[in-house]
Amino acid sequence: MLKYTHVTIDGATLRTPKGQSVLDVALEYGICIPHLCHLPNHTDMGACRLCIVEHVKNGRSTVTTSCTLEAKEGMVIRSNTDRIRALRMNIAELLVAEAPNSKAVQDVAVRCGVKQVRYPFRNKDCVLCGRCVRVCRELWGANALGFIGRGMKRRVDFPFGVRPDSCKVCNSCIDVCPMTITPCAGPMLPGREYLCGQCESQLSMNATVPDTCVLCDLGKGFQCARQR
Amino acid sequence: MYMEVPEADGLFRDGGGASRLLETLLERQEKEGYLSRETIRDVAVSLGVPLTEAWGVANFYKVFSLVPRGKHRMTVCMGTACHVRSAPLLLEEFSGQLNLEPGETSADGLVTVETVNCLGACGVGPVVVADEVFHHHMTPKKLRRLIRSVRRVEEEETEHD
Amino acid sequence: MTELKRLEDLDALRERLGTERKRTLRTLTVCGGTACQASRSRPVAEALKRELAEQGLGDVATVRVTGCQGFCEQGPIVAVEPEGVFYCHVGERDAAEIVGRTVRNGEVLEPLLYRDPVSGEKVRTLDHIPFFRWQERRILGQNHLLDPCSIRESIASGGYAAWQRVVSGFTPEEVIAEVKAAGLRGRGGAGFPTGRKWESCRNAPGDVKYVICNADEGDPGAYMDRSILEGNPHLVLEGMLIGAWAVGARAGYIYVRHEYPLAVEHARTAVGQARELGLLGRNLLGSGFDFDVEIVRGGGSFVCGESTALMASIEGRVGEPSPKDVHTVEQGLWNRPSNLNNVETWANVPLIINEGAARYASLGTDHSKGTKIFALTGHVKNTGLVEVPFGTTLRTIIHEIGGGASNGVGVKAVQTGGPSGGCIPARLFDLPVDYETLSEAGSMVGSGGMVVMDEGTCMVDVSRYFLEFLREESCGKCVPCRLGIDRMLEIVTDMVNGNGRPGQIELLEELGDTVSATSLCGLGKTAANPVLSALRYFRDEFVAHIEEKRCPAGVCRALIRYAIDADRCTGCGVCLTACPSEAITGSRKKPHTIDPGKCTRCGICRSECTFDAVVVKPREDARAQIHPRDDRRSHAAHA
Repeated sequence: MLKYTHVTIDGATLRTPKGQSVLDVALEYGICIPHLCHLPNHTDMGACRLCIVEHVKNGRSTVTTSCTLEAKEGMVIRSNTDRIRALRMNIAELLVAEAPNSKAVQDVAVRCGVKQVRYPFRNKDCVLCGRCVRVCRELWGANALGFIGRGMKRRVDFPFGVRPDSCKVCNSCIDVCPMTITPCAGPMLPGREYLCGQCESQLSMNATVPDTCVLCDLGKGFQCARQR
Repeated sequence: MYMEVPEADGLFRDGGGASRLLETLLERQEKEGYLSRETIRDVAVSLGVPLTEAWGVANFYKVFSLVPRGKHRMTVCMGTACHVRSAPLLLEEFSGQLNLEPGETSADGLVTVETVNCLGACGVGPVVVADEVFHHHMTPKKLRRLIRSVRRVEEEETEHD
Repeated sequence: MTELKRLEDLDALRERLGTERKRTLRTLTVCGGTACQASRSRPVAEALKRELAEQGLGDVATVRVTGCQGFCEQGPIVAVEPEGVFYCHVGERDAAEIVGRTVRNGEVLEPLLYRDPVSGEKVRTLDHIPFFRWQERRILGQNHLLDPCSIRESIASGGYAAWQRVVSGFTPEEVIAEVKAAGLRGRGGAGFPTGRKWESCRNAPGDVKYVICNADEGDPGAYMDRSILEGNPHLVLEGMLIGAWAVGARAGYIYVRHEYPLAVEHARTAVGQARELGLLGRNLLGSGFDFDVEIVRGGGSFVCGESTALMASIEGRVGEPSPKDVHTVEQGLWNRPSNLNNVETWANVPLIINEGAARYASLGTDHSKGTKIFALTGHVKNTGLVEVPFGTTLRTIIHEIGGGASNGVGVKAVQTGGPSGGCIPARLFDLPVDYETLSEAGSMVGSGGMVVMDEGTCMVDVSRYFLEFLREESCGKCVPCRLGIDRMLEIVTDMVNGNGRPGQIELLEELGDTVSATSLCGLGKTAANPVLSALRYFRDEFVAHIEEKRCPAGVCRALIRYAIDADRCTGCGVCLTACPSEAITGSRKKPHTIDPGKCTRCGICRSECTFDAVVVKPREDARAQIHPRDDRRSHAAHA
């Protein structure tokens, strides 16, 4: 059995070990598909929907998240079509309207081309990306954090709201949380939120720079650091 | 309450004890009226699931109440058919008569008002279920009468004490 | 009862039961479905039994309590077989006469007969009632023939005959071919070809496979599955047996919504009886095939009707959907190949085997075969369950069968497909009902809910209702569904409260498109349908709300005011007593007045006034007027 498989992303045929997600492959090759809830080496939830791509099959294309799509031989993916960019922009707009008080969220909004926020700002302190839950459960097996509730009432919490003994205060949850760094100009007070739109850097926790950057078109729109 | 049907041997339940979580919590609430923290912890331990998981399930499903409920539970159906037949008027009635919004229990612990998203009795809506008895074609007037009869039952009981 | 060890045993049993059945001269069939029980049909059944005994007619007639027959508005219903005399709104005190006169002498009791609301005339038998006459009750029609809590009655009425045919002469591949040829499509909403699903499941690698019955029926306003599962659970079990044989599964689950306690009870009883008789378990009818079923209850969650969420729920977890890049027929329950079908889909299977694919496919349209059961509710004269072949027009269903508008006001639209569907305006009622046609019109067949809305309905308010429902039921995992639905609701609420702004309609459409295209599961993907279809056909109402701060239908509270017409008011004081806000004043026999400062436009006074004296007028100074109570309610929802 071959250990590798080949997928085509934005016209480039890429070789990858079997079992990788399309997002993994893309990031490996420097195709910087925006993402938020993806946590390397942990299961992917497909919650933020930012990493959506078009999966072209039998002449039809379906919009699906690249983090949950396993790369299979001969797959054809388009990660940066006009439609995808428009959809991503709307999703990022929803996110930044909800939780603008985070450098990561503001950066994602810029990367996705958000120029205006057409909804009243809110000032939430959690985007429910699930990184903390997954790191607690999968890396440490502590199961101290979980998603509680449904819909808009969904939140991350300890059982009964009380920190359990299984929590060893390792702080991994804080380390992976996108909300922990406030925007450069300082925390945004309730009622005074705005679309930052200035910073063009990458998400601070995705600091790993791949060795092979293909200098793709995608990077131009996102003001990718490697484009300079 | 339900007919006890023994499990068929060996053909089921890949997931072991963990897959019994929802049903066990349902049964405990039926017995105890709501899910206390002790109950949830107890169920998690006995089934061998993480406490977080049990707490998550208890919070996810609408049927569960994490606080003690009133002696008399009155549930208004909010399905589409009941809605176009003015079920919201019934919520107004509860609000006006008992000053209770859905999910709230009266201060004396007697009545809890709840909503449910369709009981499937759409032909006879609007429907209110009071103490597990279905009441059909409800109007604000009939609801006032129903609330009065519940109050009367309580008064008679306290007289007998 | 001894266990059936071989095929021949089942034949012999059926024959014996059939002969016994013929011996009973008369049967009083009482509907015992959930809604009729709400109307107190159980005491009626008990009273009839008592009267038969007391009047010495116990040998001449029996009482059979059946499952739901779908004519709920008229309950309690009693039918006298074999004549078929049909009585409605029967009370306990009518029992003596029914037994004494109808059973004993064959006399028909006029006051208890059904009065057709359209013609105004009394109708004697069920098959002459217009509501039933236009239907083809191939699935539902069996309900009035049997007591769902008796496997004997099921078998005597033909239950498990199709299963017998399969065991004695069909290979799994042949069963799949038959179901494919019949053209059966999933009745739960998606309309996926059932035969193809079974084939994929059969071909999926793995030794352990499951068949699952989706009895979650979360669409508000839909109760077809409740009726089938309560009224004929063995039909569903038989379908699952045949499906399990076809795909190679040895275990099955029926996931029943928690809000259907009677369906749960009847399903559990049916499974218990089937096991006792040897129709479930090991080496069924000597074939070497094992199969058993377990009933699982839901916990009150609409999203658990979605296949991956349903399976997560059976696994004991929260009902959060998962991405479906790999289908559940390959990796489903506990990652095993799982074939999930809706209750009504399973119920159609025995019919296909019994009469053959060709006959089955002779009903319906080119791509939508067979019959579909619809729950016709809302502002229509005859509400209930309607089973018609695909291709029947909306007009036939709503006007011929449904009898048209119930309130004397015209029918405006019909909402089909529940929260995943959309509205279809009255001018399009000549459209034939099938999967493709309704989808093209911006709605869908869905599970079969059909809510009729008259001219007094505000389509902006209806959009808000569905968005509120979906916001509460969304699992919250993915951004477009969780935040998108909330923001759409925020916009529509603005419109309803008189705070609508230009550009909001366009934003609603753009956001709706994004939510549809990028959500993780079917709930999010279809969440925008109600509002988008309302915009498609009733855009002018939205525009009126925004630009004129006016609600054309007179529903949205911030945009209307209530007043009492002094010419009609008799001063009876009913409204004064009923008003929860103490907004009405007036002395007896003198016209009353409503204080606009206190009035919340809740509508209670209007619903209780028997003189039609409470009138709705547009509010001249339409500003957002949120009553503290509404505010508290919406805060509670946002908390």
